[in-house]
This record gives sequence, C-alpha cells and structure tokens, in this order.
Amino acid sequence: MLIIKPKIDFEVNVEAEITPDIATDLEYAKSFTVYYGKLEMSLAELFEVEKEGDSKVIVLEGDFSRVKWIGKGMLDGEIIVRGNAGANYGAFMKGGKIVIEGNADDWIGAEMEGGEIIVKGDAKNLIGCPYWGDLEGMKGGKIVIEGNAGNYIGEKMVSGEIEVRGKAGDFIGTEMKGGLITIHGDCGIVGGDMKAGEIRIGGIFELVPAFRETDDVFVGDVNVKGKGIVRVLTL
Amino acid sequence: MILVKNGHVIDPVNGINEEMDLFIKNGRISSEFKINEKECEVIDAKGKLVVAGAIDIHAHIAARKINSGRAMRPEEFRRVRQKTGKFRAAVGRTLLTAPAIGYEYVKMGYTTAIEPATPSLYTLHTHEELDSIPIIDKAALPLFGNWHLVFKFIAENDIEKLASFISWVLEKMKGYGVKVVNPGGVEAWMYGSNAHSIDDLVPYYDVSVRDIITGLIKANEMLDLPHSIHIHCNNLGEPGNYETTVDTMKLANGIRNNRRQVLHVTHVQFNAFSGSGWKDMGSGTEEIIKLVNKSDNITIDMGQVIFGHATTMTADGPFQFDLHKLLKNKWINLDVELETGTGVVPLIYRPSSPVHSVMWAIALELGLLVNPDKNVISTDYPNGGPFDRYPYIMTLLLSRKYREKEMERAHKYLQRAANLPSIDIERTLEDIVKMTRSSPARILGMHNKGHLGEGADADVVVYDINPAEFNPDKYREIEKALSSALFTIKGGTVVVKNGKIAGDIWGRTMWVDATLRTTAEIIEPDLEEYFNYYTVNRENYGVEERWMRRAERIEVG
Amino acid sequence: MENVTCTFCGAVCDDLYFDGDEFRTKDFCPLGEAKFSRKKRIEYPTIDGKKVSYEEAVERAAEILHNSKRPLLFGWSSTVNEAIRLGVILAEKVRGIYDQCASVCHAPSVLAMIEEGIASGSLGQIKNRTDLAIFWGCNPVEAHPRHPTRYSVMARGLLTKGRADRKVVVVDVRKTVSALMASHFIQVKPGTDYLVFSAMRALMEGYEDAVPEEVGGVRKEKLIEFVEMIKSAKYITILFGLGIAHTRGHDRNVENVIKLVQLINRYTRCILQPMRGHFNVVGAGEVAAWECGFEWAVDFSRGYPRFAPSEFTGVEALLRKDCDAALIVASDPAAHFPRAAVEQLKRIPVIQIDPFPNMTTLLSKVVIPCAISGIEAEGTAYRMDGVPIRVKKVVESEYWSDEEILEKMLEKVLKLRED
Repeated sequence: MLIIKPKIDFEVNVEAEITPDIATDLEYAKSFTVYYGKLEMSLAELFEVEKEGDSKVIVLEGDFSRVKWIGKGMLDGEIIVRGNAGANYGAFMKGGKIVIEGNADDWIGAEMEGGEIIVKGDAKNLIGCPYWGDLEGMKGGKIVIEGNAGNYIGEKMVSGEIEVRGKAGDFIGTEMKGGLITIHGDCGIVGGDMKAGEIRIGGIFELVPAFRETDDVFVGDVNVKGKGIVRVLTL
Repeated sequence: MILVKNGHVIDPVNGINEEMDLFIKNGRISSEFKINEKECEVIDAKGKLVVAGAIDIHAHIAARKINSGRAMRPEEFRRVRQKTGKFRAAVGRTLLTAPAIGYEYVKMGYTTAIEPATPSLYTLHTHEELDSIPIIDKAALPLFGNWHLVFKFIAENDIEKLASFISWVLEKMKGYGVKVVNPGGVEAWMYGSNAHSIDDLVPYYDVSVRDIITGLIKANEMLDLPHSIHIHCNNLGEPGNYETTVDTMKLANGIRNNRRQVLHVTHVQFNAFSGSGWKDMGSGTEEIIKLVNKSDNITIDMGQVIFGHATTMTADGPFQFDLHKLLKNKWINLDVELETGTGVVPLIYRPSSPVHSVMWAIALELGLLVNPDKNVISTDYPNGGPFDRYPYIMTLLLSRKYREKEMERAHKYLQRAANLPSIDIERTLEDIVKMTRSSPARILGMHNKGHLGEGADADVVVYDINPAEFNPDKYREIEKALSSALFTIKGGTVVVKNGKIAGDIWGRTMWVDATLRTTAEIIEPDLEEYFNYYTVNRENYGVEERWMRRAERIEVG
Repeated sequence: MENVTCTFCGAVCDDLYFDGDEFRTKDFCPLGEAKFSRKKRIEYPTIDGKKVSYEEAVERAAEILHNSKRPLLFGWSSTVNEAIRLGVILAEKVRGIYDQCASVCHAPSVLAMIEEGIASGSLGQIKNRTDLAIFWGCNPVEAHPRHPTRYSVMARGLLTKGRADRKVVVVDVRKTVSALMASHFIQVKPGTDYLVFSAMRALMEGYEDAVPEEVGGVRKEKLIEFVEMIKSAKYITILFGLGIAHTRGHDRNVENVIKLVQLINRYTRCILQPMRGHFNVVGAGEVAAWECGFEWAVDFSRGYPRFAPSEFTGVEALLRKDCDAALIVASDPAAHFPRAAVEQLKRIPVIQIDPFPNMTTLLSKVVIPCAISGIEAEGTAYRMDGVPIRVKKVVESEYWSDEEILEKMLEKVLKLRED
C-alpha cells in the first residue's frame, strides 16, 4: 500500500496518471513521471510517498482536488481518496476500485470499461461520458454517487451501471445504447435520442417529448427508433 | 551548394536510370562539372535511389473544408507525430494540422502538393492555410463547375467570355487552374436534387452537364493554361457510375493540346464502379483503362482507399449528404452562394466490407493497368485515406506478393467483383517515379518539377533503396524506405535527414496569370450584375499577392 | 474611404464609408459607429503602472510567459488572423493554454458540431435562396443591426427577390424587437428549446402519438403547423444565437437543432447559421484548428496540443487555479468572467494587449497598447459564416499592431528557450 500526500500548495494543477500498479515498488512509484504545468517531475518531487505492505492499494491523503487523471486506465487494485478528487478519475478504467470519500470533479469514469467507482460525496458533470469526438461512453463497470451529481450522465453509454443516490442535473442517458442508469432523486432532461438500455428515476424529471407510454414504462426515443426504457422508481 | 554523389538516379524525363552525381546550386539542379567538393555539402548516395521530389496532384490540404473537418473531429488529433521543440508540434491521425502536413510530406519525399478544390469566396482562407504549411510548394484550384456565371456564359454559348471569366478568377484568387466537381449536380443540390448523367439539365439555367464540361475544356484550351481542367465526375460513389465517367472522358474527343492532356479526371476509383446497386457493385475499370490508354488527351489519378480511418470531404454537396444518410455519421455541409457547395463526412474503410474491398482493388487495377505516363498516385486525401500511406500504395504496385498478402485481409467478394486477383503486373521503380514525379509535373504543366535536368527545382530525394539489387518480394523494406527518406532536399535546402525533419523553410504558392490573353471588359456588365447578389463587395473580393507569404506568379500569354 | 470593413460584430459589413481624418462614418449601424469613433486609448506601454518602451514591455511579457508553469493566452476574437496565428504558436512555445472568446460565447455550438457536424452555408444563401428564415433565440435587430437588411430578412437576391418572397419566423422566450419584423412569432418557455426540437423531429417523422399536447409552452397543433410550414418551404435557414447556446441545455440544444436540420434536409433544403458575436471570433477558432487541430481550450503543457473544454477554457483554468500567468489580447475578462475567475486573475501576473483601457487593464502587470485592427492595422477576419474578409488600415498610427507585438514576443520567447 502506498500513502501519497501533497508536499506543497500547488501553483497549477498536477496531472498524475497513477494506478495501483505502482503501489508495490516504492522506488518506481517515487520516480513516476507527473506533469506540473509544463514541468515534467517525479511523483516524489511533489508528493510525500510512503509504502506500507505489498497490497495493490493507493491511499491519497490531503486535498487532491487539483490533481487530475488518477487511476487512468487502471486494471486492478484499489485507490482510496480520503478527501476531494480532481477531474478525470478512473477514466478508461478496466478493473479494480476507486473510492472517493469527498467530492469528485468532472469526468468520473469517462469511457470506463470495468471496475467500480464509489463517490461518497457529490460528483460534478460528465459522469461515465465519452470524451469529445468518441462514439461510445461507458462500456462496463459501475459508478455509484452517494450524493448529488451534475449534468451529462451516462451519455452514449453502452453497458455497465451508474447510480446516483441523490439528485442529478440535465441530460441523463443522452444517446444511450445500453446499460442502466438509476437516479434516486430529482433530475432534469432524460432520454434524448436514447436507443436502448434503461433509466430508472425516483424523483421528478423531464422526459424528452418523444417517448411512448406503455402500462408501466416509457419507450423511446422515437426519433432514433429507440427501444430505451425509462421507468419511474416506486418505493 | 550540395553535391549528391554516386547515387542511382532515376529520371524518366531525361532518360536517366544509372549511377551519377547531382550538383545543386542556387536552389536549382546545375550541370556545372567543375565542382569544388570542399565548398559543398556532400551527400554520398552510393547504392541509393536518387529521384526528384514527388508531387501530390490532388490533396485537400488547406481550405475551409479540411478545417471544418478538423473542428468536427477532435478525436483525430490525439496522435502526436512531433512534440514542439526546434520545430513545430505536429499532430493528427488522418486529418493533420498544417505543420504536420508539411513535415509528413517531405519525410516521404514529397515536395509539392495541390489543394484541388477552393470555393473562390473562401479562397483567402485557403491561402492563409497554405501559407501555414511548412516547406512544400503548393497551389490551389478554384471551383468552377457550379458557378452561376459559368452557367450563364455557357447558356449564352460564349466561350470567350467564359475564358475571360476564368482568367479573371485565377488572377483574383491567385489560383492555379480550373477545378470542376459534379458539374450541375451541386447546383441541383440547392434544390435538394443532383445530376445523374451528363445530359441532366441545371435548374434555372437549362444548360446540360455536357455543355458545362465541354465549355470549360474549350475555354481552358483557349487560354492554354499550364493545367487542363481537373474534373471530379458526376455520380461519384454510385454503383454503375463508370458509365458516366466514360461519357465524361469522351467529351474530350477531338480537343488537343501538344504539351498535355485536355482533361484530367481525378480520383477515378470513386467513379469506376459497375453494378446496379450495392449488392452487385463491382469493378468498372475495364472500359476506363482502355479509353485512357488509347487517348492522348486524358489523364487520371487513382484515388486509392486505405483501410482504416478517413474523412470524406468534397465540393460534392449531394454526395456528402447521401453518404451521411448511408453511414448515419456526422455531416458538415456548406452551401456557398452562387459558386459551389461542400460537404464533410467521416468514414472508416474496413477490409471486412465487400464494397470497401472492391474500392481498394479498383484503384490498384487503375494503378497497374493505366499507362504510368497518364496516371498519378493519389488517395484524394483525406477521402481515400491519409497521404502518408502513399509508400504503401507504391509498394503494392511494385510487389505482387504484397498485394496477395493484403488481398487475404480483404473481403473475399473482391475475388469475383474485381479484376485485381488476375493481374500479375509488377510496376518498376521507374513506373513509380513516373506516377509520382514526371506525370504529375507534366499534367500540371510544372516544367521545373518532376525531373532532375539542368535548371529544375532542386527538390531531390535520396531513398535507402538500391535499384541494382531491387527485389519486389522484400516489400516491408521497400515500404519502410519509401516512408522515410534518407535525405529530402527542397529548393536546395536539406529538410529531412534519416526520416527526421532537419530544416524548416517556407515553400512557394504558385498561381497562373492569364490576363494577358483575355479582355476583362467583355464580362464587366456580368460581373457588375452578379456582385449585386454576393454578400461581399466586389472591391473586397479576392486575394492580393502581398497578403501571401511567397507567391509565385506564372504568366501565360 | 469607400468599402471599409467594420470590425465590430460577426456580420463584418464591408460596404461602409469612413473618413479617417474626420472620423466621419456613413452607413454604419450604431454599434459599428461606436467602434469607429474617437475613444480614450491606452497611451503607452507600462509595467506595474510605470511607463516603459514597447521593447521593454515585450521583453518582460516574454519572461513572464517563459517562466510560468502554465500561462493562459486568452482573447483573440477582436484581432486579425495574422495575430491569432502568432498567438497559437506562442502558446505552443511557452507550453500554455490557447483559449478564445468563443469559450464564453458560441463554444456550445462548436461542441455540438463535434457531435453532429453542421449543415450550413454562406450568408448569401439566405439572401439568394431562402424563402423561410427562422430566427431562434437571437435578436439581430439589436445584436447584428444590419444583418436583416444586408443578408437575411429584406436582402434582395437572385432567386429570392426580397422580403415579399420570404417568410420570417422568430422563436424566442419573449417578444423581442426582432419579432416585429417576423410574419410569425412562437414563444417558448425558457430552458425548453431542447424539448421543442425533439418534439419537432418526432412530428416531422409522423410520430405524433409520442408528442405530448404541449411542449415548452407551445401547443402541439402549433408545432405541427410550424413543421408543415418548414416542409413546404424550398430553402430554409435557421439562425440561432445565445438564446439556444447559452441557456439551459447549451451544446445539447445546438446538437438537437442540428439533428432537426439534418432531418429537414431529407424533405427539403435547410441550413443552420450561428449568429457569432465578435468580428473575428470565427478566425480565432479556424486559425487555431489548422495550427493545432483544435479551436479553443487547448493546452500545450506536454509539448503538443490537447483539447479539454471543461478544463482548459479561460474561465475553467482560472476557476481551477490551473494557470499562473495570463496574456489577454483584445478582450476584457475582468469585466465579463465570473467573480471567482477574476479573483484568480488578480493573483497572477497579467499581460494585456489592447487599444483601449478596460477593467482588465486595472489588474494587469504589463500593459501593451496596440493599433486598432481594422482601423489602424490591416489583416484578415472571418465573418460569422467563415467568409474571409480583409479588414483595412484607414488611419495612420504610432501604435504597434497586435501582429508586430506578438511577433517580437515570440522571438523573445524562442531566444529564452534557447538559453
């Protein structure tokens, strides 16, 4: 297990594409290249890095809200963020687990393929979404936001699961092609150009006016001849 | 001064295919024979192939079209080709940034490229982009085939006025020649339609596609411009379209020019389909190849497709809309007032697709069977794929073994729908030099390019290929050597060493001034009238030489 | 001087008269007239408020940019392409962020284009062909005052001869002055444009059963009527503004109207035109696209361009405290950015290049006055439809142009890099 703490108050954000792979080799971890603005630096120059045991676990202590790209493409192991997290955590993730005890920034689990992300606080926008220009969003795995979430959730999602325990913003499951999104609280616009998959909502929401109502669910979006299902969660 | 010693020079224009020295002075090839080696940069090219810089006759490298494509496709720019340092950062997968375009061309030995489709209203933009492409020489062809004033002059059957108009436009736009895209069809698209044969009529003007093409050929020949008209035929991308292509080619009958062709038909692969639909689509090259080989006034370029990503972009608005509907992919359209249209749609060519496989084969059939003196290698960048895969195309033409290997990847439908499997021909290095150097130079009327005779531009390339020991079966080595020049010299400056950028200079933009041959007065009333309908004032329409980085005016007349 | 080009809004009118000696204008709209009037200028270059030479100011600016970890280079929409190009190269060489005013304006339209492309055309297509012009969430009478006469509502073209040949529809959340020139006005509830576009698409394809009786405050019958009007027109232009791009739904609104336009083209012809703001905001995107592949929000910290509109716009970089110096060209972020972003701007060294003093001048460490593009300096600008138009030098000036200043700054930076 690695314990990583920022050494200084950063002047600009840091990009640290670390995964639990570095947790078992302290020297390798310390020399891992991170980006501090235009400066290429080693992890140990900006962070205190300590090792305890050989488990594939990274614990981030202190404020990581200005450290981006943690867990990019990770395959296994675990990352625990004790405070707030920056943008792009768990992007392209294929396996393992990320737990963020504070709040998360944008692009949590972007284009994620497998594994699990749990945010105990709130998360911002673009959860499990595809980066600009890509045709597929989340392809597998699970994202749970225990607090509230922002706009754009599960866009172009192919498979996997996103659950928001609190409220969410606009554009849930836009152009969704598969998978499951559950929003327990209120949210905004739902289901635009949805092709397939399922969205379940517990609170008040605005369905795109291109769904057909059946006995218990809405089916659409008719504009893309979609077979997506929007279901109202009942207690 | 540079001395390239002992290289094996292949220069078909001057009948050279042997070991000899080349001396470069003041940016040109010199025939001086008393040379003080101490004053020269000496390049020992013993056992290496030495040729002129190659010319891309048709690549959409600058203009609103490719730039809209860039804006629409950020996913294309995640491939890093070069980080910033002494030279510019260069990025792009199949769509490249302007710096990347210049660098990638010279790395594989290309030193000149032609932007083949600029709407005049947007041509100042085209020149700004050309001016941002490092190293290579370039030129742009304004679009004429759907211009209202062209329809008007053709309706009046007034070739003299049409010629005056062409020379007025080339001077205003600093253009090099006459491009025609889906003549009449793009105007029909403004009404939601298209032109499907050369006898279709243009709405409002009642002139036929046939009239437009013959009128433009005649006007171009009246001006005797360096290049002939350069046409993208009607019905591009439609099964059975080879018949339209043959009909179009026959329009050149009886019109001759002693120096060159009178009709250049571009990216012919896209216009050489047989069949009545996608289910029985096949190669329609046979008649086209026969016609081109027996004619002395028609030339073509291939329009090879490369399996993988591409971005289609043409002035052919209706074709691009059809492609958008077919692929359900994102689509840019730009209708340009009174002049032309434009469209952009991304595409992936898959070897698993029967149609794409046949398209791949069609272009190779053209490359193998059309006389290399009348044919040029192209991908219609970025329509058929990236230009940095030209070495792949060259190697396929050189090596039957490589073709067989690649055919195994392709869909087996190719075996019955294309003629390629039965073609044994292997092109020689000299053929390839023709199809990349001497032919495009002659077709474009660029007499200082495409060869290494005295006074030619000192655009010289040294490849790690020994023609004396050339073995087409070693295709991997050949492709690698052609991809990465040992040296590229541009205008007398070494710009590439061992496949890496070694020098950054600015090339020229060539344009043709034919105004001595015409009188602008005869079209004055028409221009006055038509500028009422433009949204740009006549005085603010066009490009001045002083706004360009290095303009080179080529005067005819 | 005749045929002068106005450098205020994205309509870039090029048919104007301006007398540079007398500062007399003819045919300008009030907005353009204000730009072409004598105004208070920044008199000389300053560092920390003290007068310095151009050379000293440029040198200090180069040092600040060179020594920072991630400088933000922001603005660009009110200068010419020649200066913008140098700005993009400068951003690359100092490994900073290139961002331009679109990111606080029509960036959602560009994001939508990444998703769907855009079917568009030059403004002459409205003048010459359009028989149905739909203004959606924009107010040309006030924001682009000559647009209706010159290009759209009243323009006399070859095939469409003028106002009588053209239907005009205004769709907005309230009856603007532009609605007065319309034949039809459709009022939608704020923040519902996305839903209305989806409903129109469904109605156009005959899925009436899936559309509720009222969408965005508009009755279904009225929407059906509107869709039929569109289907029966020959050539439609939809012009849209920040009423779509900068209200609830942002880029997704624009994406949905693009999808609507794609669908309309299966029945008749239709193009879409964003009503862009500053005179060269299109150039600020186009130039960057050919130089580095992306139009805005580009970070060069790794030595190559990366695009991230939720991280590397001017506003986001400041809010995230992700830049430690800033070069502001022809823009006033201190007046227009959110307060928290301005707070960060106050904390870092700021270099300003601008002809006129503004709020940003007050917090700038290095202030470099420049010639006014289109009045004292020439160059190329792109109209809202991308048509390139040369803007002119009509008044002599001692001020350096943006292009000269940036050229010298780039030279200094390259020299610092070598050392």
